[in-house]
Amino acid sequence: MNIGHLGRWSRLLRFAALALAILFVLGPLYWVAITSIKPSNDYLAVPPVWFPSQPTLIHYWAALFAYRGLDGLINSVIVSVLATLLSALLGTPMAYSLARFNTGGQHLSFWVLSQRFLPPIAVVLPIFLIYRSTGLYDTHAGLIIAYTVFTLPVTIWMMFAYFRQMPRSLEEAALVDGCTLWESFIRVAVPLALPGVVAASVFAFIACWTEFFFALVLTSRHAFTLPTVFRAFLGFQGSQYGESSALSMVSLLPSIALGILVQKHLVRGLTLGAVRG
Amino acid sequence: MTEASTAEHPAGRGAGLAPPTAYALWCDRNFKWLLVAPAVALIAALSIYPLLFSIWISFVNYDFSVPGHDFVGLKNFRQVVADPVARWSVVVTAMLTALDVTFEFLLGLGLALIMVQSFRWRGLIMSILIIPLFISPVIVGQVWALLLQRPFGPTDYLLSQLLGFDVTISWLTSPPWNFIALVLADVWQWTPFMFVILLAGLTAIPPHLYEAAELDGVGNWSTFRYITLPYIGPMITLAIAFRLLDAIKLFDTIFMMTGGGPGTSTYTSSYYLYQVGFQQFHLGQATAGSWLFLILTAIIIMGLVRRLLRAEAKP
Amino acid sequence: MADVKIRALHKWYGAVHAVRGMDLDLKDGEFNVLVGPSGCGKSTLLRMIAGLETIESGTIEVGGQVVNGMRPRDRDVAMVFQDYALYPHMTVARNIGFGLVARKLPRAEIEARVARAAGMLGIGGLLERYPRQLSGGQRQRVAIGRAIVRNPRIFLFDEPLSNLDAQLRDEMRGEIKRLHQEIGTTMIYVTHDQIEAMTLADRIVLMRDGIIEQQGGPLDLFERPKSQFVAGFLGSPQMNFVPAKLTLQDGNVALDIGDGILFALPQKLIPRNTQAQGPDVILGMRSEHLRRSPAAAVAEGNVRYPVTIELVQPTGSRTYITFSLNKHPVVAEVAAHDVQRAGERIEVDFDLNRAVLIDPHTGLVLA
Repeated sequence: MNIGHLGRWSRLLRFAALALAILFVLGPLYWVAITSIKPSNDYLAVPPVWFPSQPTLIHYWAALFAYRGLDGLINSVIVSVLATLLSALLGTPMAYSLARFNTGGQHLSFWVLSQRFLPPIAVVLPIFLIYRSTGLYDTHAGLIIAYTVFTLPVTIWMMFAYFRQMPRSLEEAALVDGCTLWESFIRVAVPLALPGVVAASVFAFIACWTEFFFALVLTSRHAFTLPTVFRAFLGFQGSQYGESSALSMVSLLPSIALGILVQKHLVRGLTLGAVRG
Repeated sequence: MTEASTAEHPAGRGAGLAPPTAYALWCDRNFKWLLVAPAVALIAALSIYPLLFSIWISFVNYDFSVPGHDFVGLKNFRQVVADPVARWSVVVTAMLTALDVTFEFLLGLGLALIMVQSFRWRGLIMSILIIPLFISPVIVGQVWALLLQRPFGPTDYLLSQLLGFDVTISWLTSPPWNFIALVLADVWQWTPFMFVILLAGLTAIPPHLYEAAELDGVGNWSTFRYITLPYIGPMITLAIAFRLLDAIKLFDTIFMMTGGGPGTSTYTSSYYLYQVGFQQFHLGQATAGSWLFLILTAIIIMGLVRRLLRAEAKP
Repeated sequence: MADVKIRALHKWYGAVHAVRGMDLDLKDGEFNVLVGPSGCGKSTLLRMIAGLETIESGTIEVGGQVVNGMRPRDRDVAMVFQDYALYPHMTVARNIGFGLVARKLPRAEIEARVARAAGMLGIGGLLERYPRQLSGGQRQRVAIGRAIVRNPRIFLFDEPLSNLDAQLRDEMRGEIKRLHQEIGTTMIYVTHDQIEAMTLADRIVLMRDGIIEQQGGPLDLFERPKSQFVAGFLGSPQMNFVPAKLTLQDGNVALDIGDGILFALPQKLIPRNTQAQGPDVILGMRSEHLRRSPAAAVAEGNVRYPVTIELVQPTGSRTYITFSLNKHPVVAEVAAHDVQRAGERIEVDFDLNRAVLIDPHTGLVLA
């Protein structure tokens, strides 16, 4: 499509702006990537080493094992996958109910939607205390439950928008044909909504994978996730330069890959389904 | 066919189905509630209950260093309000949020306007530009710390080369550079957010409006002002509101890049409350503070979420 | 097979009163068409019979059984939807057999019944395809097949042909009529198209704004409409309506159309109480009852009048000419090759024996 008033902009200006933008995005990532394979004696080199002559993987080893990055990685996988699953299992039926029956009217929708904007600090303090007293502190289960609640609003709202734009006649045909409400939901609505469920789940997964605050407060030596491992690099003394880069790469590569896979649904995910991409 | 049909089933009576049990009918009647029950229960358990609990905490003495949970009235609230660090953190939060959202909006809009037109590598460039959205904010903080921290980061060197004179800025430890650093990191991560949403808004504008304007001889700026802007107005509101509500929770980058320092000069409200609650363990005070923070957020939410719901309700 | 009795049925959507206290009897085995303009409540009524809308007030009985509150699956009705509503993730065979699977019939029987239904509709060769691979007409047949295979006591059709193009629509119409002749199950068919209503129905139920305007056989409604709405709804082109005044001419009741035009009224058209209802009337005449005057003398009850042709619209089999009576446009039907040109003056015979007089205040047909 053609925006008339842009046709006048010189192509050069546009090209330059985009080039700058790409540089701005990829530059820092490039730096982290090469730092993660730089041998330590290259750290303080001036001018900075743009590509190490002797790339090495020892930082990855150190990050994953000496700093227990691997444990964090495994915990992250466990917690993110299970929380995402739970979120989809609980959120999809609720979204269906809201979309088809307008359950609870404005009030329920409003309440669920506003959960998305709840400042974590407000809930994490009491949850911390509750978890300590119920033994959920520093457990996978505890974090999974918290993450499920944390991702439910987005899952629900994305699926809500998805169900709304599905024609009802398919489910009605199933009802007349001989299904109960539940059967028409499971056998007709859900299979057709599967692309939406997958997209919502990917967003939920990324949200869990990248989450820091809850993990910081609610976990310790046992159930800590990958983002929390970065605590070890605070106020670093240079020797951790490589490890922190390596661990950064380990974390961001999967989530970027997943994100690009669902970029078609990005706008819907970002705006909780309020806008079609 | 007709003879077979009368033999196949007697007139009416649910034709081939067993009569519904009371349980089945009950499930059907309450279907919509049964579907929402599990999710609502879970959210209530981890949202309503803790919030109620925290109301109690904010009115009692809850401190790991002082025993007992006696009722202390508004003492916790007063302590927070009186704390200069708390007050400064609100200023920091407001300032960073305003700068963040403003820059993200302007840059995002610019990018969106550029990317609206289809061109050859558009898809690939889109994929590149959205990368920062999927990175953990802690890691964004880490990445920028690596870039800016002296002497390991290349930033000062690059700036020296570009500008011709020696740049020796301590990006993470001296004002105002540390604030700029924080804004830089946030803008790097979240500009694509604005960009994506505004782009969606721009591509939704029907092209024939622009064609008509061109035929009528309407100039560039007028076209932008009278056609483009009104059309994407709602999107702008949505994007800014969303971003605003997320930006005021700023924590991760502070944690990784400045640690709130030097001293407490880059404390945001969330970071302040974290310190009070989990480093100093004055939980009563932290809870009271977080309630004040919550009330402020709620006011902003009220306006925006209502508007969102109205937009979604449109058929 | 079952009849349907509807008593005092009401339905509100918020403030909108979609169905207003309706009473209706649909006989067993009949092809009933619910027809009317959009928003008249016909789809709502159909969906209430199916169980897809709740019944707030009144009762619906199917085969002597009150179905208020019964789930759709328990009512033993089948429905064909406007957008076909085929399950995209299932083959044609599974689509058709879906209702039978839900009833846990043995596999062999399901296959047999599916094959039989598909055969009836000429889609036997499509059983392994998916809906997205089918044309509109084929999809509609699958939808009908899905309904047939269950042997329900009532068939419901919700504007099934609206999404098809004109030619396909004519073809499918015939098939549906043939289907009813073959299986004889009670059918309730909703449409806004009066041609579908006329050609398919044993009984037409013409609705407007949530109430029944008139019901009866197609020719009944066509020849003996009770109101202007009914008269104008059925028949294409639409009946001509010309406002006029009752007056006396030589001691006889006549119509003053204005501009000096006076039509003598045949006896049976004269309303009973001419004085009481006032002089204003609307004269309703169908285009096919107006023709170019033949050489013979004016027939009994007819009126001959010269007119100036304004528009000529040939359709192939016949030609429609438009002229004005006191500035009101009137369309008459002439033979295709009776070539006229705009501007020509001809004489037209108005067969008032077949016309109606309508009271403009109530909209009802007089006498």
